[in-house]
Amino acid sequence: MIDFVSGLARERGFGPKRILEVELAAEEALVNILTYAYPKGAGDIEIACRGEGGSRLTVEIRDYGVAFDPLSFPVPDLLVELAIRKVGGLGVFFVRQMADHVEYRRSENANVLTLTFTNREPQKWVNSTHTEGT
Amino acid sequence: MESSVRQIADVSLIRIDGRVDHATAKAFEEVIKPHLDDTGGAPLPKILLDLGGLSFMTSAGLRVLMIAAKACAAQGRDLAVAALQPAIAEIFKISRFDLVLTIYPTVEDGLSSLSSEAAALWEAG
Repeated sequence: MIDFVSGLARERGFGPKRILEVELAAEEALVNILTYAYPKGAGDIEIACRGEGGSRLTVEIRDYGVAFDPLSFPVPDLLVELAIRKVGGLGVFFVRQMADHVEYRRSENANVLTLTFTNREPQKWVNSTHTEGT
Repeated sequence: MESSVRQIADVSLIRIDGRVDHATAKAFEEVIKPHLDDTGGAPLPKILLDLGGLSFMTSAGLRVLMIAAKACAAQGRDLAVAALQPAIAEIFKISRFDLVLTIYPTVEDGLSSLSSEAAALWEAG
């Protein structure tokens, strides 16, 4: 599934680094579905991709498991000291960081996560959620 | 994912090649875990991960590194990584893993900072 998505990014002329970012986002999204939508194991996952213009790739991932909105997950606090930093929470964070746009909707009995990627150079990331003293 | 381990003086140098993702994170953990045991010997070896051959890492791999970093910090010893490829360096930067462990540009830099004895042995080949 990951190879399918990254292959489409390659066809659209995405650079090697951007392809890895697309792979990362796709893998994290799929692992989340396995973890939260299908906690007991197997279930169907559908992936539909479409290009809008040459340099844009939209990936729609649909599952029929437990309703869960990955965008409701808290953003991890990355600036706290190691001893109190939480171990998890980076999967959804990477999906948000790597995709240009992420959208979730519950459609009848399905979770539908739509990731949009453009062939951009990665943005310099700034932790805008951290406030001094918290 | 492939790995190899060398003991150089008081540094355990662990090389990781390939991809550490959901499918291989368990194997990655199995490579790291034995080095985290407090064997009672003092001082415990420092750990340097040579990631020069690592092409891809997801949150599953970072999770293993985070647990290892916490264990090492609790034991009062160093855990460091070296020779990150640009894509991996970006992932470390975005997830602020520069605050989790020490990152060196090269294996030589890492060894020099961690242990003069290990650096001398490395240089001697």
